[in-house]
Amino acid sequence: MKASKSLLSIILIVFLVMSFTVIALAQDLEIIPIKVRTVSTPPMENWRGLNFVVAEQDLNADLEAMGDPRRVKVEVIQNKMDWGPYITEFVLAYGADEAPDIWLTGHDYIGTQSDAGRIIPLGGMIEEFPIFNLVLDNLWVCTMYKGKIWGVPQDAEARPLYWNKLLLKQVGWSNEEIAALPGKIEKGEFTLYDMLETAKQAVDKGVVKPGNGFWTRPSNGPDFTAFYYAFGGETIDSATGKLVLDKTARLKYYQFFYDAVQKYGSMGCLGLDWSEAWHPGVTGKVLFWVGGTWQWAEWAELYLKDLGGEDYMWENFGFGLIPAAEKGGKPNSITHPLAYTVTSQCKHPDLAIALIAKVTNYGPNTRHAIASAHLGVLKGQSEYKFYKGSRLLTETLYMLNYTAFLPNNPYWGTYSPITYEALAAVVSGDFTPEEAMDFVVEGLQRELGDKVIIK
Amino acid sequence: MSNNFQLERETSSLSSFPDTKSLFSKLKSCLLPYAFLSPTLVVVTLFFFIPLIMVFILSFTNLDMTNFGILKWWQPANWTLDNYVKIFTNRFFPKILNNTLIYVSMTLVFFNVGMALVIALITTNINRRIGFASRLIWLMCRLTPVVVYIMMWKALAGPSPMGVINKHILGPLGIGAGEYLLNTHPWLFVILVNGFIGASFGMIIFSSAIEAIPKDYMIAAKVDGASTWQTIRYVTIPMIKWPLLFVTTYQTLSLLTSFEQIMLLTDGGPGLYKTEVWSLTAYHRAFTSYFGNTQWGYGSAWAVILVIIGVIMAILYLRVFRFGELMQEPKIDQL
Repeated sequence: MKASKSLLSIILIVFLVMSFTVIALAQDLEIIPIKVRTVSTPPMENWRGLNFVVAEQDLNADLEAMGDPRRVKVEVIQNKMDWGPYITEFVLAYGADEAPDIWLTGHDYIGTQSDAGRIIPLGGMIEEFPIFNLVLDNLWVCTMYKGKIWGVPQDAEARPLYWNKLLLKQVGWSNEEIAALPGKIEKGEFTLYDMLETAKQAVDKGVVKPGNGFWTRPSNGPDFTAFYYAFGGETIDSATGKLVLDKTARLKYYQFFYDAVQKYGSMGCLGLDWSEAWHPGVTGKVLFWVGGTWQWAEWAELYLKDLGGEDYMWENFGFGLIPAAEKGGKPNSITHPLAYTVTSQCKHPDLAIALIAKVTNYGPNTRHAIASAHLGVLKGQSEYKFYKGSRLLTETLYMLNYTAFLPNNPYWGTYSPITYEALAAVVSGDFTPEEAMDFVVEGLQRELGDKVIIK
Repeated sequence: MSNNFQLERETSSLSSFPDTKSLFSKLKSCLLPYAFLSPTLVVVTLFFFIPLIMVFILSFTNLDMTNFGILKWWQPANWTLDNYVKIFTNRFFPKILNNTLIYVSMTLVFFNVGMALVIALITTNINRRIGFASRLIWLMCRLTPVVVYIMMWKALAGPSPMGVINKHILGPLGIGAGEYLLNTHPWLFVILVNGFIGASFGMIIFSSAIEAIPKDYMIAAKVDGASTWQTIRYVTIPMIKWPLLFVTTYQTLSLLTSFEQIMLLTDGGPGLYKTEVWSLTAYHRAFTSYFGNTQWGYGSAWAVILVIIGVIMAILYLRVFRFGELMQEPKIDQL
């Protein structure tokens, strides 16, 4: 009895000693919380944030292997938000010392945030991860500001011109003509005014209601700049980095939209809710419309699921580049790459960049690209087995050769709304193209002074 | 001598005691009203005066997303009148001002005061229970959460075949082409949506005021052969002048600053500034921008002008309705 009591005491002591040893060892491990904030439309874009959760274990294994006592614990916050409130949230969170460690942003916001010191340059850290060499070179340009790299490209997209094949047939187009349209746009044989002319025919024949010939997005956003570029406009001066207003191109741009409303039965879309704008477009009430590749997945999921989703879309929708303004001109497509940045309130930027390196790889990036219909950002990704599985990504890949970007300038947020207000006034009939031009020149001079070059 | 001294001491102590008490009660009576007022004073100071002063200062700065945390907005060296110059030289300034006047005056006249008075007059002149039930139904608009309420209106105004009005009213009557009514008649809906909520406030105030009028006056008017309209015109309306002033002033200021229903319904559209009112512009400038460049300083300047307009309107109302005379002691109490 006494012996068994002694044995029990010894076992208890050994157990306690072992427990304390384990606790002590565990206490040597430092758990580093890494907060990742992304904006994403569920469920299509969930991988934008969830890839970090998958990467957490991988990075912790690396840290353990190299004897680093730190372990990361990833917290992802992601939801669907407009860019304005999303940026405001970040700025206010930063002001309250509660900024995330990794913050996803559109490339065009990098200038503002780097000037304010809220994000850090990644130059030295990026070189420690050769995986970043896989990122397409032209996308790095988007995340550069004042000669430094401030973000790692996460995804890109094309913003094509879509059309409804059934409605084109009702206008009188043959199947062959419809099938040849993307090629004709690429060669500059089908121009913006050819598109409006077709839209007018659809309205005149009663195929679509007046106003529904051609639609853009319902509110300000990157898409409109593609039309300005089509008319030869430029937004940034490469020598000085200042914003540029090309008055000749801008006037042609306003004339185009003025004509679209007044002569060609189009543009009845501004001011609508998103669902009101997309729903008629994808349910056969609008002939031409501009959207993003990522919306392909959204439309299939939200509006056309009952009709057959993607199958229905492949049968009834076509897409191509934004046509050139003149015959033989070059078409284009705006891309608005998103990038992961590391904030200056991140206490372990080396771990943050290591996590970003983990998600910047064929597997995670393709997972996101396919689910959300975004274009991949890596060299050779189009040859990756799973990437090739997406018909949309494969068929829109050629658009990367025609992509143009928004300027990476902190004052773009001031410049763009002024040009859009004038556009909305032209569309509503409040301004003539010339009045719109005067309004823009006056507004840019008043708001930006010598920060913009007007020529 | 000693007795005299004793008496003096007693007299002195007796006379000093009431003095002390009187001082305390004086102090108490002096401070007590302020003690009762203090919660209100604290709340108003914290949530109105301090923000107002901050907004006023911000309106002279160019604080925005790009310089938040960098610009020392509280330093006078960073104050300019640029935002005010921008507002008054803005090409859409007259349109936004005009929109605001239309919105406030139409909603106020037809609903917040007009409809409210009509409902109050009707519901106080019919069966008491039915009147009460009718007023309760009118309160439903105010009781419904604003987002739900606006979604209901959007469903009503929707294009055919989904829109209730198009499908069940205009369609069978052969009116219109089934368009989205918020695009074709945005102002009608903005005023209806706000008016249905606003009318309930005046309705309650007017109903209670009408109910409080001594029945003798009404009976006397009837005995004298007054018609219903004459009774309303010469007895009821003069007797509820004070509630009328209060509701008109309060609702004017309330409409000037309200924008949430318009934001959810049309967001100032369709098109460019079609239904954009002043307070919505202040909100848009200060808090929304697709490219994230929210301009807090500029938005504050729009808000400050709105406060000034509100104060001027309040003073005007007090003059027009002769507030001083209304606040005199009722004659019936003086008798």
